[in-house]
Amino acid sequence: MKEYELFIGPQHPGVTGNMMYHLWVDGDTVTKAECNVGYLHRGFEKLMESRNWMQNVPLVCRICVPEPDVNEMAYAMAVEQLMDWEIPERAKYIRVVILELARIAAYLMSIGSYAGSLGIYTLPQWALGDRDYFLDIFEQLTGARVYHIYIWPGGVRWDMPEKLPGLIEKTLSYTEKRLKLYDDVLFKNRIFFDRAVGIGKIPKGKAIEWGVTGPNLRACGYGYDIRKLEPYAVYDDMDFEVIKYPELGDFDVLSDGCDAYTRMIVRRLEIEQSISIVRQALEKMPEGEHIIKHPNWLKWKVPPGYAFKRVESSKGEYGYFVVSDGSNKPVRIHVRGPSYTHGVNVAETILKGANMADVSQILFSLDVCPPDIER
Amino acid sequence: MRYEEWNKISRIASRKSLWMLHFCTGCGAVELPPVMTSRYDMERFGMGPMATPRQADVLLITGYLTVKTLKRVVNVYEQMQSPKYVISFGSCPINGGMYWDSYNTVKRLDRYLPVDVYVGGCMPRPEGVMNAFLELMKLIDEGKARGWEKYQKYYEQYKRNQKMAFGFERGKNEGD
Amino acid sequence: MKAIEIIGKGEEMHGRAYIPSGREEAGTIIKKLKENGFAHFVMLSCVDWIDKNEFELVYHMWSYEHKEHAMISVRLPRDNPSMFSMHELFPQIETYEREIHEMYGIDFEGNSRLTPFLLEGWHDTPPMRKDFDSKKFAEDVFDSIPEIKEEEDEGI
Repeated sequence: MKEYELFIGPQHPGVTGNMMYHLWVDGDTVTKAECNVGYLHRGFEKLMESRNWMQNVPLVCRICVPEPDVNEMAYAMAVEQLMDWEIPERAKYIRVVILELARIAAYLMSIGSYAGSLGIYTLPQWALGDRDYFLDIFEQLTGARVYHIYIWPGGVRWDMPEKLPGLIEKTLSYTEKRLKLYDDVLFKNRIFFDRAVGIGKIPKGKAIEWGVTGPNLRACGYGYDIRKLEPYAVYDDMDFEVIKYPELGDFDVLSDGCDAYTRMIVRRLEIEQSISIVRQALEKMPEGEHIIKHPNWLKWKVPPGYAFKRVESSKGEYGYFVVSDGSNKPVRIHVRGPSYTHGVNVAETILKGANMADVSQILFSLDVCPPDIER
Repeated sequence: MRYEEWNKISRIASRKSLWMLHFCTGCGAVELPPVMTSRYDMERFGMGPMATPRQADVLLITGYLTVKTLKRVVNVYEQMQSPKYVISFGSCPINGGMYWDSYNTVKRLDRYLPVDVYVGGCMPRPEGVMNAFLELMKLIDEGKARGWEKYQKYYEQYKRNQKMAFGFERGKNEGD
Repeated sequence: MKAIEIIGKGEEMHGRAYIPSGREEAGTIIKKLKENGFAHFVMLSCVDWIDKNEFELVYHMWSYEHKEHAMISVRLPRDNPSMFSMHELFPQIETYEREIHEMYGIDFEGNSRLTPFLLEGWHDTPPMRKDFDSKKFAEDVFDSIPEIKEEEDEGI
């Protein structure tokens, strides 16, 4: 049959945001895929070079829209390392709480949109509605729904309100109840088994070489999690097991890993893991200060040097490379987004040979988020 | 006279079934899923997401626009059938917002496309978004949402501005 | 530090190995590290040191075995910079090289896909270079675009 070209995106509900894939299709089999990004390029890295260290805080969180806190965390840690600051113990616990809550919210969004790509339209309604309760917590804690600007170099912006742990606990137990319903609708649903098993396979031996990280890597059977490998904040104090491919709890192992099915099950299980971490952090949280005293922001100079800090986000590994020459502005801040590898090289390779109807679910199961590719 | 009356009836009908184009142009798109789904549920106003520009009535510019996206947005806007409306989200399309010195975002949307309703804030809250939809319905009812007529009337000015932003003019001056 | 032992040079920097390297030997160093457990290529950064008239390319690598991070730094002159492509070692380097080619104007020999990545129809200086002034560009290009002149009457 004659090969033809197909453009999906940027205006298409089946791609994960404002990006485009250029596909060459034979019948309904994809023979070649090319990623085209840049629709969201705002030149963050250039803007950061002309702003001072504190003005950059509201900029960094805009690099990942569904889960902004990881960016603030990585930036704050890099600046703290250059300044040689030790932050208060209470701030570390509050950071863990907000990071894990943001992680749950991002997973709910990702699961919802994945189910939408399979045509199961109940779950987007439920998951996105439930995500909103987490946004309510953020609103009480930080004052904003989406961009929190809460984790600052040196601590967190405000202390946690006294009554917030009660609300968090209420939301968490509600989410746990809802997850059982999600299982019936998606994760133990025949449609999901038939559509997702064996689709979008990343070759297991190549996963690390291709730069796959996060839940996508854990679905390939490698139990690597930055929260365990390089514990930041107080993750070394938390009790949790890394979820990886053959150990899928009470979900069936239907394939030999690395496919869309396993990736989504890993995400589903990590919601429960995050719920348990939030509970532990709230329980162990000590009293005390929440931020250290900042120098005058306009005259704040950071000692020269290189800093590299990484955090685990719901999509994979976030890395911040910060270079200072001792002035009040950074020389260079380079962000490593997890979608940079997932969305471009990995997607281009695994889309080859996929069925046209599966393209959308493969992209959603990789959880590609274009803003961190182009920044 | 009959034309006027027919126009009024058509406005009442069209404001009750506005279909918005599903095009996430910027970060404001993250507040649209809550508006579309169970908690805020815009379907009670008769609004729904629509995948193709040819059947959509409302174009949402959700946040900053880069030059590369503006090309696609203009393309999409011109495919939509009249009457069509534009809602702009957030501070970035109003005056550039926090990207005022960025080399790749267009600063003022109203120089490239006619905007009917602005929603301020970064991010606008879902309530703000809902309010903008109601405002748009009110404007349609009163016959004031006439951006698309403006686009037809001043088409040449809009086209000139779009070309200037896309860099065709700049390229020529440098001899590329 | 394992990376410093393998290569035989470099210094420790906040728990991460920093290995300065020449342009020619960088390929060998990265290959050697890859064979010795540094299997995860994190990212390729570029820093513009305009005072020293140099670009610094930083190859970040991570070893899941040794739990260690290595930064290999290559300095290039700012005039006609060029570097060898390493996309055969790790496929995602191709994308980083595309971006750096576009943003800094560094040429990568052996990379056949140095097509525009993020920008479209860009005619100016590569934007991430320090001598490109983003604010001036924004003022020149976007502020010069005139407003739509409307006629008073009809009230459209």
